[in-house]
Amino acid sequence: GDSWGIFTFLCAALCNLPALPALNCSEELGAGQSIQQTYDLTRYLEHQLRTLAGTYLNYLGPPFNEPDFNPPRLARAERVPSATVDLDLWRGLTDNARLAANYRAYSRLLCYLRVLDGQVGTAELRHRLAHFCASLQGLVLSIGGVMSSLGYPLPAGPAGPPAPPGAHAAPNDFLKKMDDFWLLKELQTWLWRSAKDFNRLKKKVPPAVVTLRLEARGF
Amino acid sequence: DSHTQYERVGADVTMKCGSMDWDAAVTWTANGTDIDESHLNGSYLILKNVDLSQSGQYSCYEGSSWHLKYQTYLRVGTPPKEPVLMCRSNNYPKGFYCSWHLPTPTYIPNTFNISVIHGTKDMVCEKDAIPKNRCHIRYLQLFSTVKYKVTLTVTNALGKNFTTLTFDEFAIVKPDPPESVVAKPVPNNPRRLEVSWQNPSSWPDPESFPLKFFLRYRPLILDQWQHVELSDGTSHTITDAYAGKEYIIQVAAKDNDIGTWSDWSVAVHATPWTEEPKHLTTEAQITETTSTSTSSFMAPPTTKICDKGAVVGSGAMAVCWTAGLVVAAYSVLFI
Repeated sequence: GDSWGIFTFLCAALCNLPALPALNCSEELGAGQSIQQTYDLTRYLEHQLRTLAGTYLNYLGPPFNEPDFNPPRLARAERVPSATVDLDLWRGLTDNARLAANYRAYSRLLCYLRVLDGQVGTAELRHRLAHFCASLQGLVLSIGGVMSSLGYPLPAGPAGPPAPPGAHAAPNDFLKKMDDFWLLKELQTWLWRSAKDFNRLKKKVPPAVVTLRLEARGF
Repeated sequence: DSHTQYERVGADVTMKCGSMDWDAAVTWTANGTDIDESHLNGSYLILKNVDLSQSGQYSCYEGSSWHLKYQTYLRVGTPPKEPVLMCRSNNYPKGFYCSWHLPTPTYIPNTFNISVIHGTKDMVCEKDAIPKNRCHIRYLQLFSTVKYKVTLTVTNALGKNFTTLTFDEFAIVKPDPPESVVAKPVPNNPRRLEVSWQNPSSWPDPESFPLKFFLRYRPLILDQWQHVELSDGTSHTITDAYAGKEYIIQVAAKDNDIGTWSDWSVAVHATPWTEEPKHLTTEAQITETTSTSTSSFMAPPTTKICDKGAVVGSGAMAVCWTAGLVVAAYSVLFI
């Protein structure tokens, strides 16, 4: 009841921080370079997540840390943005839609992770989560930078008004852990998907333009 | 009255001669050969501890009239052991295939039934005509967080067994090995080999799902491989080959971000370019091989052209530019 209210407030506060304007350097570097950097960031984060998820799932305890754990997806878990998409639809996404989907997803995932950070028990976990959140924030900014350099508007903050207090509160400890489990899973899947999204974007934005600019700047 | 009868290896089998009484006079044959009376208990045929060789057609004839009263085809076999199941996506993101086999034969006909569940959805795995024990599935969605659960059930007349595989979409991605691997010497470069290959033809979309490659190479005479990982491109030039040595080269592929490495490609052999005609080179190679393969093999030095190691294989017509220049310089002085 009360904890949900705090959660909603925190989310609103953290997520409605003005999205930093596209850093000037990204325009100088050119979209091609930024896309490569964003791609590299997703790979780095995916690697980081593996360690973080391992530690966190052990903290949650069995059955969450069992490799075969394959629970059904409960309706309540839908609030976490899903990377799952129809194959043809994914192929047909415009660059703008592709980037926007990534931007929105990571913004929200970051939000949820930050709340997690506040609740988690051990100091080691808090430290790891904080580090991961910082890297994830970097990714969001990087995607924003790419969008700006390509002339696309940044998507607005978390869609819709905050849910009323108590609406999504996990009724018990086990379901709360399930929520955490799915959050980590969606995060992992998004990072895998982003690698593919940015591969496609890399092909579309030729790096040749970038090289010229870099030389002009004397890099 | 004729039918088929399945029995386990090691079982005791009792065959009745149809509706004949126990004390009726009958003759049993196995595949046309009379069976000795010692196997009979009245008109029943008793086969103890049956083995595979006892499979065949058993017939029962009435004593005097030789009327065929009963016939059965006995097939001795075993119930199925737990089948071996493997699922793999070599054509990501199109879908995946599963293939299976029994670890040991049952000697009787088996039927296989495969079920694929994705979350709450049942999916149909379409059986392939060739090879037989294989089916394939098309992905409807990509980047799924829900695991796939594949259950294979094998059934025969003597029993059933099953096995299950549960996996994430990403975990089973394993491309086929690269194709058309070609290795060629580079003219006038005794330490180079140019290797090129192609993406496996089963990989449908290398543009959006690029592959990275792993090249390994070694001279035939050594056991240790050298490795190079390449994040793009389908060619590579080896620049540190030992002069005149035949090399064996293989390439493997992997999706850039997910899954596992393919098996190694078919091996190709190549020898770097050498200046000498072949027969002279071979002699020099043999001498060199016997003298140096027993000692620690050091890379021939790259700086001094006139050094013994690099000259090996060049034979009598040593390309010794430094010495040549010195001689030329002195000649000029003396002219």
